[in-house]
Amino acid sequence: MEKLTSFSIKYGFIIVMIASFIGFGLAEPAFWGWHNLFSILLGVTIYGILALGVTFTLVTDGLDLSVGSTAAMSVMMASYCMVVLEMSGLSALFTCLAIGALIGLVNGLLIVKIKIPDLLATLGTMFLIQGLQLIPSGGRSIGTGMMLPNGDEAMGEFSESFLYLGQGRVFDLIPTPVIFMIALALVVYLVLEHTRWGRVFYAIGGNSEAARLVGANVDRYKIMAYVLSGLIASFGGVLLAARVGRGDVSSGSGLLLDAVGAALIGFAVLGARKPNAFGTIVGAIFVGMLLNGLTMLNLPYFWQDFIKGCVLVSALAFTFSLAKQR
Amino acid sequence: MTDQKGIQVRNIGKSFGATRALDNVSFDFKPGEIFAMVGANGAGKSTLIKIICGYYPDYEGEILIDGKPVRFSSPHDATSKGIATVHQIINQGVVQTMTVRENLALAELLSSEGSSVWYRPKQIDARAREIAEKMGLQGIDFDQEVSELEQSERQMIAIARALATDPKLLILDEPTSSISERETEFLFETLFRLKAMGVSILYVSHRLHEIERIADRVGVIRDGQFGGVLERPFNVKQIVTTMVGELEQDIERHSPDISAESVPKLEVRDLVVEKGQAPLNLKIFSGEIVGITGLIGAGKSELANVLFGLVAPVSGDILIDGVSIKNRSVSEAIENGIFMVPEDRANNAVVPDFSIRQNITLPFLKKFFSNPLGLLRHGFESREAIRMVQSMGVKCESETTNIGDLSGGNQQKVVVARWLLTDFNLLILDEPFQGVDIRSRHDINAYIHANRGDRAILMLAADLDEVLEVADRVVVMNHGQIVGEQHITKIDREVLLHWTSQSPEDLKLQA
Repeated sequence: MEKLTSFSIKYGFIIVMIASFIGFGLAEPAFWGWHNLFSILLGVTIYGILALGVTFTLVTDGLDLSVGSTAAMSVMMASYCMVVLEMSGLSALFTCLAIGALIGLVNGLLIVKIKIPDLLATLGTMFLIQGLQLIPSGGRSIGTGMMLPNGDEAMGEFSESFLYLGQGRVFDLIPTPVIFMIALALVVYLVLEHTRWGRVFYAIGGNSEAARLVGANVDRYKIMAYVLSGLIASFGGVLLAARVGRGDVSSGSGLLLDAVGAALIGFAVLGARKPNAFGTIVGAIFVGMLLNGLTMLNLPYFWQDFIKGCVLVSALAFTFSLAKQR
Repeated sequence: MTDQKGIQVRNIGKSFGATRALDNVSFDFKPGEIFAMVGANGAGKSTLIKIICGYYPDYEGEILIDGKPVRFSSPHDATSKGIATVHQIINQGVVQTMTVRENLALAELLSSEGSSVWYRPKQIDARAREIAEKMGLQGIDFDQEVSELEQSERQMIAIARALATDPKLLILDEPTSSISERETEFLFETLFRLKAMGVSILYVSHRLHEIERIADRVGVIRDGQFGGVLERPFNVKQIVTTMVGELEQDIERHSPDISAESVPKLEVRDLVVEKGQAPLNLKIFSGEIVGITGLIGAGKSELANVLFGLVAPVSGDILIDGVSIKNRSVSEAIENGIFMVPEDRANNAVVPDFSIRQNITLPFLKKFFSNPLGLLRHGFESREAIRMVQSMGVKCESETTNIGDLSGGNQQKVVVARWLLTDFNLLILDEPFQGVDIRSRHDINAYIHANRGDRAILMLAADLDEVLEVADRVVVMNHGQIVGEQHITKIDREVLLHWTSQSPEDLKLQA
């Protein structure tokens, strides 16, 4: 019995995942096609990437609620830079990343220096950024040919190379955002599991006072977690802008919950019971696969959030009940 | 047997899964006696207490009150049948944000039975006074918020409330673990008064010297089984032997020879820790273990915090080998070879979800356990952790075991071990034996004595006996001042205790 428990804690999630993969394929063979598999991956890239940033803050026992609006800000900024300011794709990219890092820095300082609890601080900045991103464009979506306040038409365009970030395919098969997501996941995994910085991040999450009393600069690490989260979220926004090719005012909606959900589902993968990069990505892919499969089986779209919620609640219940008896 | 007064537990047994926590344990708690219960960590003490106070309704054996068998379905049920418990963590027993009055009458405030929906100040006040009077609680401001009180006062409130239920048995779990010596005296007076009132008291503690003083009988639990009951007269040594069997020979002390001219390993020169306090001067020589004792609030931890770079001193110098150093942060202190095992292991030292290995290597990840790219050297890390686990005698399956699975004593060995990976100038041990069983205490003490080399060690403890166990020289602090010191070969307990308990007025007269 105990063996069964520990086995299911460790592999339960993966088994459910493989079983549903096989099940969907048997019910609808098109599910297994390369094209569909990559479209699943492509579908999860944006919030998968955001979730990797959220993982950093979760590891330090915090949570960044502003990732969704940071990504949306990034979408609007990228568009504004290229379409209105007629900047190059590269400078638009770096502007977005810099703004993302800056938002993270502000979050970190609010939490560490002014000592606002993490949820409240990032809830505040989430609100703030959501509003701020609308101001440059006067509350309208940004696209080539839009009317500027002075009556001119915006003549700038998204550069080809910028669009490639979101729309390109490597070997004519693998979408570039998928490559970015997997590469980023590997880097985050490496940092968290195999470097001393990762170890200190986890130590701070476990007991920040103990970490401080062995000489770790806890404040700096915590700020760094939010900077990374903001940076990664803005990169997610860049990919989204590149994929859509315009600055849509509603582009950030839903990203936050999907990202936080994926990172939390990640707790259940391989019985980790803690935030971890591998689990986060597997969690994101699992949700994407489930939605794709169910849609193929004619599940109406308005069921999607309900399904995601069910997965999240079951994963959390699994993590905190069964795994606790270990 | 049926007309026997008091509480008896008969043949109590309890298993958790495959683990047999308690097996066939029986004790009698007689009215008007202080019954002390001792046992090493993990021996089953807390399981037995939880059974007696109704927390585990599912157990083997029976509990009798005045000869009649009873069964408790919940802690509330146990309380209503005459078992009152005051738990170890005082702050779980009081509501910090409420006043003394409200805390005393908390049961009335919160119960739904027969009370009004309105907050009735007069009724609450009357009840609070009644409870305070019974306990002999005086000189306490009823309007004060509990968060402003001293630990011992909070504890008195928790005990007073426990007594308000007219218990037959009052269980006190580690009541002195977070209060000072003076506060302890006050607690003991209260216990003696309760004893005279005919209450039976079950007193659980690691502090054997206290037990030697106050207990009428001592019950021992050993590896989940009945280990015997000692009747007066008994001494600490007998209790220890009954608890864990014969310990190895007493630790050999090699107090170093200190000539007057030698340069001290650590010197504290005119160090002012807090504004307005007298400067401190202290020397610790190579290979010497100095113990500082004093009441809680005497300034021990404050001094340690300055030495470890947590707080900047107002003025004065810290010298290592005669060279002045500055510690602007903990990491600078560590760079200077000053390490500290902080008090309150659970809050300040242990990272709960980490393995033993990860807990040991945490301070020196950069120095030893990672390459310039920051990548961890897992193999070396693991070997070093195994070396420390073995030399400290940490009882565990392997170095990858989660630290939360260890007993308190073994956890303490791990957090001490993390500082012994490398050479140092000064190791500060702040209350190193808090919640540490006697055997682990012995192991840690033996390791430190055997490996002190030419380093300086500073041990801080409010309990004089703990300091005497470890130190070559005992220094007493009181109200932020160093008031005296004695070498271990010339200890006079009365003088030491007098120094600890002097009032600020006495200290001024001397100065």
